[in-house]
Amino acid sequence: MLKITSLIIATVLLSSCSTTVEELYQKVAAKPSVVNNEESVVAADSSRFESQEYNGNYVRKDGQSSALQMATAELKNTGVQFVLYFSYDGSEIDEAATQAIIKHANFMRDNPSLNLRLEGHADERGTREYNLALGENRALAVKEVLGLYDLNSRVEVISFGEETPLIQAHDESAWGKNRRVEFIYQ
Amino acid sequence: MKKLAVVFLALYATASFAILEVTILKKDENAFPIVISPFAVKGDAKQGEAIANIMRDNFNRSGEFNASSADYIVNSQINFDKWKAEKIEAIVIGKLEQVSKNIFNVEIELIDTYTRKTLYAKKFAVHNSGIRRITHYLSDQIYFALLGVKGSFDTRLAYVTVTSMGNGKREYRLEISDSDAQNPQTIFRAASPILSPAWSPDQNKIAYVSFKNGRSEVFIQYPFMRRKTQKLPYFNGIASAPAWHPNGESLIMTLSKDGNKDIYSYHLKDEKLTRLTKDVGIDTEASYSADGERIAFTSNRSGQVQVYIKYLKTGEIKRATFEGSYNAKAVFSPDGKSLALVHRVDKDYRIALLDIATKDLIVITDNKLDESPFFSPNGSMIIFASNKGDTGVLSVVSILGNQTFELASKAGEVREPNWSHYSK
Repeated sequence: MLKITSLIIATVLLSSCSTTVEELYQKVAAKPSVVNNEESVVAADSSRFESQEYNGNYVRKDGQSSALQMATAELKNTGVQFVLYFSYDGSEIDEAATQAIIKHANFMRDNPSLNLRLEGHADERGTREYNLALGENRALAVKEVLGLYDLNSRVEVISFGEETPLIQAHDESAWGKNRRVEFIYQ
Repeated sequence: MKKLAVVFLALYATASFAILEVTILKKDENAFPIVISPFAVKGDAKQGEAIANIMRDNFNRSGEFNASSADYIVNSQINFDKWKAEKIEAIVIGKLEQVSKNIFNVEIELIDTYTRKTLYAKKFAVHNSGIRRITHYLSDQIYFALLGVKGSFDTRLAYVTVTSMGNGKREYRLEISDSDAQNPQTIFRAASPILSPAWSPDQNKIAYVSFKNGRSEVFIQYPFMRRKTQKLPYFNGIASAPAWHPNGESLIMTLSKDGNKDIYSYHLKDEKLTRLTKDVGIDTEASYSADGERIAFTSNRSGQVQVYIKYLKTGEIKRATFEGSYNAKAVFSPDGKSLALVHRVDKDYRIALLDIATKDLIVITDNKLDESPFFSPNGSMIIFASNKGDTGVLSVVSILGNQTFELASKAGEVREPNWSHYSK
């Protein structure tokens, strides 16, 4: 029941904020499709370096509470993407990606104790520091949509640039998988 | 000299780590032919041999010399006609005399085989531990005597190594070494990425980026002062791409604390932050010219990734690169006339030299994924990171393109090179 209500609120919000969202859609419509729909779940540990030195302020998935794990597992089971993919040097959010982000927004409204970390990544091409900036732009672009749902204060953005590729290979297919934003609930 | 020896003792006191393997890939046979004879030795003969070998390796790596050995030569027995016939233009001879357990007297002489004149001569005492450093210093002096330009031998490198530890874990090490990759030391290690090491102009500090607190932050380490580490104030978002002002008093870096990634200058003593660029796009990878009057930086403000120069006196920003769709991470040559940068050629990323005034761009490498170019302090060479097979190596190319050598690690990947300024 709660879910249905929040979905309705989201739809209402979507229409009431129409100028911003429309702008967003217009921006997106002008660009070619950037999102790959096949991947839905973050591989358990392949994307991140060891965190023993993180002094507790880096909460890892395996350190999450069971309630959080259950909630995110449920969301994953609905087929919602936890990873969004981007074009070369791009940080645009297209319509399909926007729909995925909206599902996350609803999930966050249903679970007000959860916070979200968006991790932006780039492929290995180009320079490392530029890619660090690019990764942040990708995560910020996702946050911008969540911001329409008044969730900014619960969303943290981090960029790892090209430093933590999902796929360790040097071809188009690997690069496509590595240009991504990951959704991590904490 | 005493000061040098003390510094060196400190270096030796730390454990040594895997030394990068130096391989000369391409040699210019027309380079300046010189002979560096083994030194005459009284006492520990190993040291005498070491001096000549280190010096010969230095000159051969430089790309400008073809340095060979010869049987031991003493001054009075130089057969000038023989050397002239062999087209050897200069010879280096020397003596090493052990005067106590750790003290040696060193004598060195550089002689022009055509004029038979001495071009450089020096005589001094040196502590055992300082012999390698002194040899680099002497190499610089001889290089200057022959070319009228200072060498880049008595300098240091900084770089990052990455070793796979299994289970997807990696170990990142920030290392420093002499310019010939000898005396490597790990000054920081972490399970998280390390980026963009930068020697301070006084060669006492290294700025770098670490993710050890979960996000990119800039740190300053004093490698010769018990590795004291200074963390810059916390900035929201990215803090990255540090580069030193030539006076060593401030750093420029990329911050995204206000959302946009822009270039800021941070004065270390005054703790004052000054914004240098303001654009909705990405501005990053800034570096100063040697006179401190310009910064070069990467920006996508035009829609493409290109290099821009900001003239700090007037505040004017000019686009520097026009050829190709991707130009990034530019550094000024020491004379300030050109930029070394990463240039995309079709699908490959290569190192190119841009003449700032004429806008002529010359691609000087031919690999797939070259990055992080940095000039040797005399400007004669560029060190950069490259992919070879499936691993990262460092390559050094002379700006004339006639010589390359490679620095590789058996333990894993090497990347993010930086070359120090001259010692003071």
